Amino acid sequence: MRTPLSSGLAAASMGFLLLGLALRNWQVVLLALPPVIVLALGSLAPPPRPRIVAVRSLSRERTDTGREVDVELLIRNEGGSLDLVEIADILPRELAVIRGTNHAVVSLEKAGTLRLAYTVRSQVKGDFVLGPVRVRSFDPLALGAHDVALDLRSPLVVAPAMEDLRRAQLQPRRTRPWFGQVPSRRIGPGTEFWGLREYVAGDEVRRINWKASARLERLFTNEYEGERSGDVVIVVDARRESFVGTEADNPVEHAVRAALGIADRVLAAKNRAGLIVQRQVIDWVPLAFGRKQLYRILDHLVHVKPGGEWRFSHVALVLSRFFPRDCLIVLLTPLQDRDALTAVIGLAARGYDVAIVSPSALEIERRLRADTEEDRMAYQILAMERANRVAQLRRVAQVVDWDPATPLALALRRMTAWPRPA
Amino acid sequence: MATSRLISPALRYTPLAVLALLESWVVWDLLAVPDRRWIAALSLPFVVNVAFLVLSRASHRRWARWIGLMALGTTYVVMHAFVLGIQLVPALLFVSVLIGQVELRILAERFAPLFLVTLTATQQRQIGGALLRALIRLTIASILAIVIPLLAADLATAGVVPVTTIPTALVLSAGLVAVVLIIALLPSLEPKAE
Repeated sequence: MRTPLSSGLAAASMGFLLLGLALRNWQVVLLALPPVIVLALGSLAPPPRPRIVAVRSLSRERTDTGREVDVELLIRNEGGSLDLVEIADILPRELAVIRGTNHAVVSLEKAGTLRLAYTVRSQVKGDFVLGPVRVRSFDPLALGAHDVALDLRSPLVVAPAMEDLRRAQLQPRRTRPWFGQVPSRRIGPGTEFWGLREYVAGDEVRRINWKASARLERLFTNEYEGERSGDVVIVVDARRESFVGTEADNPVEHAVRAALGIADRVLAAKNRAGLIVQRQVIDWVPLAFGRKQLYRILDHLVHVKPGGEWRFSHVALVLSRFFPRDCLIVLLTPLQDRDALTAVIGLAARGYDVAIVSPSALEIERRLRADTEEDRMAYQILAMERANRVAQLRRVAQVVDWDPATPLALALRRMTAWPRPA
Repeated sequence: MATSRLISPALRYTPLAVLALLESWVVWDLLAVPDRRWIAALSLPFVVNVAFLVLSRASHRRWARWIGLMALGTTYVVMHAFVLGIQLVPALLFVSVLIGQVELRILAERFAPLFLVTLTATQQRQIGGALLRALIRLTIASILAIVIPLLAADLATAGVVPVTTIPTALVLSAGLVAVVLIIALLPSLEPKAE
């Protein structure tokens, strides 16, 4: 590879020659020789092509946002001695090196080794790839260089941090025939007392209400409210309009974090959970139970990036085709435009139970702006607009207006019943 | 360990010292110019040189350093080509020292940080050896850059090579163009050969 210095020397040489010829001055012509001689000496001993073997190991291949991952890169020189070699382990820009270094300039002898150890941390979720390793062998006089890229790639999946929603009341209003933890307002196996009926042959003895039987001189059996499970579909609005703020602090990132927490809570309560993500494509995870389903949802959430120009009404199409109508829809949207508002009203009109968790883009933007008089005025106007939009939505759905700087569990706890009782 | 700690500042300050020497050289020659109008005209590229070198020092802009060095070279060459006349040995020395200053700065940028970290004896030996080899090459290049043109000049003045003819000028130009073309094309030819 030619360097700027070699080009500069060639240009200087040419300049001296032309000036000497123009002035008909042989001394100036001779001044063209020193740059050419330096260039010629440089080309006689070009930098050797690096023959490097590298092995990278990670302390973990899956991690959470904010957790540290130790990386170790072992380099071995399989070729001749390298006077000066620059080695850089290329990292995605989301990964920050917090200890050690992923870059070194060293001198490597034949069969010499180098160990680069560093620790990275990501503040955003994602499916990252570490590598390639770039090696540049320098001519110490900067007249040439040899670049080699080692195709050594290591995947690192950074999952969003899990919100603790154990105390949040997240349960679907309508239930399915499977056993679960949601009171179904029907008689069935459960723990909550529902009523009494006369004993029939086959009733369990432990369910006989002995006090009522003694008072009325007939056997009576307790009946309980059946606890069943329901379906919850989490819809994440990751359209381009929803991206406001920084890479780590924007409504889409917070919505993803909330979606994972809600999915965990819903699945832990023995309900079925599904997911729809509206981004550059609309992708979805069908309803299912259990821990495996949580990992399926997590895998989809890791890839969520803001983008796409789909209208929000497309979600209704996916819902009507692939999900049952009696499910609870938890919509995670910053409510940046009226498109989401119209879509929610449409869903409610079709009979869906809708609950909205809205990470406030306004609060995120407020934290990023300077606190001037104009900013305060603009904030007040926008806050009124948002409050108006939320008020309209509260006629058809339960809405949680969430400032992402506070824990989601706190915002959900302020609600009385969730979703709105029928 | 202490030796390696000393090498780093020595490497850092040598290019500065060489640059100061070149600047003083040009100022000294500028003071020898008899015509005030020429002094005023030549002061312009010199001031540009100083301004851009200071700017490059303050803002770490590579392009500013290049412009500063080009202005310094231009001041010297124009001053000698049009006013003072070119004395071959000092002129060759000036050009070689200018190239050497650039090379020394690059060496300093690359090697000085290596000596700041704690080095094992082996690493110190490796890096010291690489630095020594680079300095030897630079010294050889500088000596040859002066000796070969002087040899050529001697041959020319002795009448072995007719320097003032048009064919000689054309042959020299063609030779230089060929060298520059080879240097320009060599990197693109190498990958094709591989």
